[in-house]
Amino acid sequence: MESGLIVGTGKRMSLGEKLRILTDAAKYDVSCSSSGVGRKGDGTGIGNTLAAGICHSFGADGRCISLLKILFTNECIYDCKYCLNRKSNDVPRASFTPDEICELTIQFYRRNYIEGLFLSSGILYSPTYTMELIYEAVYKLRTLYRFQGYIHVKAIPGADPDLVRRMGLLADRMSVNLELPTAEGLKRLAPNKHRKNILSPMRQIQQGITQNKNEITVYKHAPSFVPAGQSTQMIVGATPESDYQIMMVAESLYQKFELKRVYYSAFVSVNEDKDLPALPGGPPLLREHRLYQADWLLRFYGFEAGELLSEAKPNFNVLLDPKADWALRHLEQFPVEINRADYRSILRVPGIGVKSAQRIVRARRNGNLSFGDLKKIGVTLKRALYFITCNGKMMYPTKLEEDYITRNLIDKKEKLPFDRDGMTYRQLSLFDDCHLEQWKS
Amino acid sequence: MEEYYLICEDSLEGIFTGIYDAYLKKKPHGQIHIILGEDENYRLFATYENCLPDEKKTASVARTIVREFGQEAYLSICRALASREADKGEAVYKTIVTGFSMRNRKELMGNLANPYIHRVFELARFTANEAHYHVEFLRFKELENGILYAVIGPKNNVLTFITPHFADRLPLENFVIYDKIREIYAVHPAKKDWYLVYGDETMEPQERIFSQGERMYGELFSCFFHTIAIKERVNPGLQRNMLPIRYREYMTEFQ
Repeated sequence: MESGLIVGTGKRMSLGEKLRILTDAAKYDVSCSSSGVGRKGDGTGIGNTLAAGICHSFGADGRCISLLKILFTNECIYDCKYCLNRKSNDVPRASFTPDEICELTIQFYRRNYIEGLFLSSGILYSPTYTMELIYEAVYKLRTLYRFQGYIHVKAIPGADPDLVRRMGLLADRMSVNLELPTAEGLKRLAPNKHRKNILSPMRQIQQGITQNKNEITVYKHAPSFVPAGQSTQMIVGATPESDYQIMMVAESLYQKFELKRVYYSAFVSVNEDKDLPALPGGPPLLREHRLYQADWLLRFYGFEAGELLSEAKPNFNVLLDPKADWALRHLEQFPVEINRADYRSILRVPGIGVKSAQRIVRARRNGNLSFGDLKKIGVTLKRALYFITCNGKMMYPTKLEEDYITRNLIDKKEKLPFDRDGMTYRQLSLFDDCHLEQWKS
Repeated sequence: MEEYYLICEDSLEGIFTGIYDAYLKKKPHGQIHIILGEDENYRLFATYENCLPDEKKTASVARTIVREFGQEAYLSICRALASREADKGEAVYKTIVTGFSMRNRKELMGNLANPYIHRVFELARFTANEAHYHVEFLRFKELENGILYAVIGPKNNVLTFITPHFADRLPLENFVIYDKIREIYAVHPAKKDWYLVYGDETMEPQERIFSQGERMYGELFSCFFHTIAIKERVNPGLQRNMLPIRYREYMTEFQ
């Protein structure tokens, strides 16, 4: 089989070269978390996992490097327009063997470089064939090498459901990429993929997890199925969906498919195609940032997508984070009295996060809290002071007025798009050639 | 009004013994202080006393803390005592004193409005965060004889907090973690319990010879590390926030 895999490359590639190609091909996948399952080592192999997850390094782009994120192969029979590995692109192709993957994982792991393996793949011949290859590698790693660290595997839409089920018994997390938020977008940019094919393995994994939970309550040692849950990702900015649509999709994924995480990936233009938007300002990173902020509000702060956005206001405020934006539109619910309000209302104050809110509720049992105490607890008073009172008093005499607070809340450190789309002001000078050289050529 | 200063050794045993002795004095706690090492300036009307670490007293204090304030508070106090800050002894001592006056003693560490408890909380958080950074960023190198060897240079004494994690993770490996600031080694022989070795020069191989595979896997990982970054998203500020520069001198991918 090995010789079949490297057909077309002419000569054998070195391991380093393969790693470079297959890392480069995998880097646009967002998820790299190793969280969701805590498991002690059993003393007979190598590895354990921590429920909170561990990042082992941070790349030049500031993204966490937790897992050895690679593709099994970057050969692909599909032709998705946004993807570097699409069939019609002329890029060097490579494939690992299962042994190479196992060896790399173990050797990296014992040096504490990584927390486990994230294995995805281009589609070689057929989804089921590809899934078999991935399964073989993971099976070897789990049984022969007795690896007990974290494994995240992509379920490939269209693969045999039985294979997905067996895979789930070996992996900690599985994910199926939604790719694009709506079915229309998917049809336009990924002609070989269908929404239905994506959602059916997602449903299958969800049902597997629920069923497995019931089994474990009865038989304590039943093998666990995808114990760290499943996740998905969608590309933001390649198709014209609004933030509202994206949030509604994310919310229904959390509620109806019980996903652990939804990842948003700012579209990076790697291919030239008439169906793809031109992004002269680079990937829409601020938009992605706002979506993640809103995602946190859904998962940890008890917000609903409908509270943050609506048909009439379909996109997030560029200047303010979604929580502050919500608070400013609901000033009638403020100020909140720190020493008396319930946990949920405290959590909704801008500048107070989950940890601070928990600490406040705990600390106030021993006496009234002052603004000084709040500062010690970790509240960002600079933001919170407009929305709270301590013992009936505000920190400074401030107006509870939308415009006034907005002016004070805008965070200059966030990369606001002033210099991206012509909103900068620059003094013209005689000697400024305004990049004339560029225009001449 | 006379003040008492108990001079303790900079260790968990030293400070716990100091706290035991402070209670023996039967004086108002406001007049008793715990310091580490000699004071720079001796004060008037103050009595200085040396406390020698005592195993029985240490165990007694530890037992009392767990019984009265629970496991969470005990862990926080242990972490605070691993800190490099000089006021840790005093903060822990006064935290315990405050704890005994509280109605719900199991809620000790929640009482953040108290300055001493807040200080212990802060110190414990610093140690815990640093320990977590080391769990993330520590790098083993394989010596010629197959032993995994890691060097760290932490600000707080985190070695005892991180070694159990690696012992659970790599039960079949022989590994050594060396804290070069304090000259302590954590040694884990395969399939056995780990232990600490203090400043034994013979442990340090004069010229560490790494195995054949070490160079290859180091390079492979560096290649992976540099390839995985998306160049359209480069953000050194974010990288620095997440991975402080002081850890990088020990990390394979930055060498």
